[in-house]
Amino acid sequence: MSSASQAVARCVNVSRIYEEDAVPVTALTNVDFELAQGEFVGLAGPSGSGKSTLLNLIGGLDRASQGEIAVDGVALQTLNETQLADLRLHKIGFVFQSYNLVPVLSAQENVEFILQLQGVHPTARRERALDALASLGIGTLAHRRPGELSSGQQQRVAIARSIVTNPVLLLADEPSANLDSATTEELLKLLRRLNDERGLSILTATHDPLVMGYAKRRVQLRDGAIVEDAAVSGA
Amino acid sequence: MLLKLLQLSIRNILRHRRRNGVMLAAIVVAVAAVVLMSSLIRGMQEDLAETAVASLLGHVKVLAPGYRDDPGIQRSFALAEDWASEVDEGAVAGWAARVRVPAVIMSERGTRGVQFVGVNPAQEGISFLGGAKIVGEFLRDGADGRILVGRALAEQLETKVGRRLVIITQGADGLSREAGFRIAGLYEAQGENLEKAFAFTGVDALQRLLGAPAFTELSIRLHEEPALAPMKERLAARLTDLDVLDWRELAPQAAAMFLFADAAIFIWFLIMMGALVFGLVNTLVTSVMERVRELGMLRALGMRPSSVVLQVVLEAGILMLMGVAVGVALAGAVIYWLADGIDLSLWAEGVETFGMSTVLRPVALAEDVLLIVAMSLALGVAASLYPAWRAVKVRLLEALGR
Ligand SMILES: Nc1ncnc2c1ncn2[C@@H]1O[C@H](COP(=O)(O)OP(=O)(O)OP(=O)(O)O)[C@@H](O)[C@H]1O
Ligand SMILES: [Mg+2]
Repeated sequence: MSSASQAVARCVNVSRIYEEDAVPVTALTNVDFELAQGEFVGLAGPSGSGKSTLLNLIGGLDRASQGEIAVDGVALQTLNETQLADLRLHKIGFVFQSYNLVPVLSAQENVEFILQLQGVHPTARRERALDALASLGIGTLAHRRPGELSSGQQQRVAIARSIVTNPVLLLADEPSANLDSATTEELLKLLRRLNDERGLSILTATHDPLVMGYAKRRVQLRDGAIVEDAAVSGA
Repeated sequence: MLLKLLQLSIRNILRHRRRNGVMLAAIVVAVAAVVLMSSLIRGMQEDLAETAVASLLGHVKVLAPGYRDDPGIQRSFALAEDWASEVDEGAVAGWAARVRVPAVIMSERGTRGVQFVGVNPAQEGISFLGGAKIVGEFLRDGADGRILVGRALAEQLETKVGRRLVIITQGADGLSREAGFRIAGLYEAQGENLEKAFAFTGVDALQRLLGAPAFTELSIRLHEEPALAPMKERLAARLTDLDVLDWRELAPQAAAMFLFADAAIFIWFLIMMGALVFGLVNTLVTSVMERVRELGMLRALGMRPSSVVLQVVLEAGILMLMGVAVGVALAGAVIYWLADGIDLSLWAEGVETFGMSTVLRPVALAEDVLLIVAMSLALGVAASLYPAWRAVKVRLLEALGR
């Protein structure tokens, strides 16, 4: 399983061509990419360069048109929908740009829900959910519903939910898009802390130059191809 | 997990109170209407059967061969004392052996044709006669030589209690008999048709007049309808030289109405539930499409497609269950309120033509209610499968709106 030598995510010669429309759109072409355990990678690139596409493929939300993707050593193309759902549930934490939470459930219930999907015992579930919320500084908001939380607080709940399962990889697609810069910085600090303290592997796509101040490796995409891949200096 | 899904479903229902409230109200009304309607139809059915059975038919009737085509004392039979003990087996509520002949009845003011029936009053608890309201006196016993006529017939003949009526009929020897009878009383029955059709006297008195110590019919009332078929068989085996007929054969119109009522319940159910399912599918599709992103998010997090389907189905199931519960309760309350029956006397003549009484009492059968409940829930689940299926067929990324 996940060891230091094994990549948390590996893409080999991956292409994604959207053929639903009359004119096929090539979103990714022959991408080779590897993310090792404990890395914090920022995916940069102009709009339409394929950042979300790559994230979605690695997260098992979409399927590659060509090439192979493995998460924690499991080849995604061999899995059916249910198996893919199970893989997402157990190995990946997601933070989306917005609309992350179930509106009818409280913050705590949102976090507990994913543990419930995993079949975790109720007492352990409550404890872990409250721990996760507390570690993100929102333990006092546990009983509020998403509608009663600010966007920044909602994103924290989403992060709490994404880490409470101890995933091998956290995927975040523009997690700060709806946040002001102060809140964005807080969020990024939080991600960095999780990366530093827990060794959580993180892959985040962003337009925001701020992010690159916190990621440890920067991967630049253009027209569906990786054009630059380097450690962030000073990180 | 199921509990969590249940909780989610309930909260989702509560989130859209108005829309689901309207849907719930529709389910309540439809279910209540179906239950109520079926109970009224059952009431009508029971009444039809009761009226038919009580109108001298009984559940089963034994006749001499040929009597139905040409009724008369010539087509009669003798009855062994112990006939009943041999076939009863606990199914018989009561029986009456009668002599029934066509006759002409005359007063000073008028003449009418009637069925003249010799009865043993003690046996007539099984027919409408036993419970009929009597002006004057009831017949004392089988030897009572007075006559009992319907109130409507007495009006037509312009006669009353205590006066004499003359009966002309045919005796066992084929010769005409004529005799005077004093009116003991006037009976009232469900409907004037009955009151005009029959005149009664003691069976022994009539046998003496006709010159035959025999009966023309044996009418048997059972405790319950299901005992009918086996009873018929036992009777036929015992009374080989006689005709054994049940009320459906003897009152084919009532029997046809009875069957029609069965069909009416089902058709009514299909119409109401059909409309309801349309509404339900519509509501669910709307509610699912509105939540495509949310459901997509749950899928993205790792909720299995089957669980997503289950959640949507649960939502419909809960809505249906509540609606059915309240609907049945509402119908129950209305049925309780109508327990004394609905007075149909305004349309009495039309109603009587169908052989029904003028008061319609709803009858709620447990099996009808159970069927309605089960079918409603099944329809609710079926109606929710399509939206649920759509919810998981939307491509995940599309659902997430990217
Ligand atoms: N469902 C789709 N159908 C057709 N084309 C698509 C679809 N999703 C994405 N694309 C196209 O694929 C390309 C890459 O899109 P992608 O969303 O990965 O870009 P991105 O780098 O995330 O952009 P942004 O920074 O705006 O989020 C774009 O040209 C986009 O138009
Ligand atoms: Mg994007």
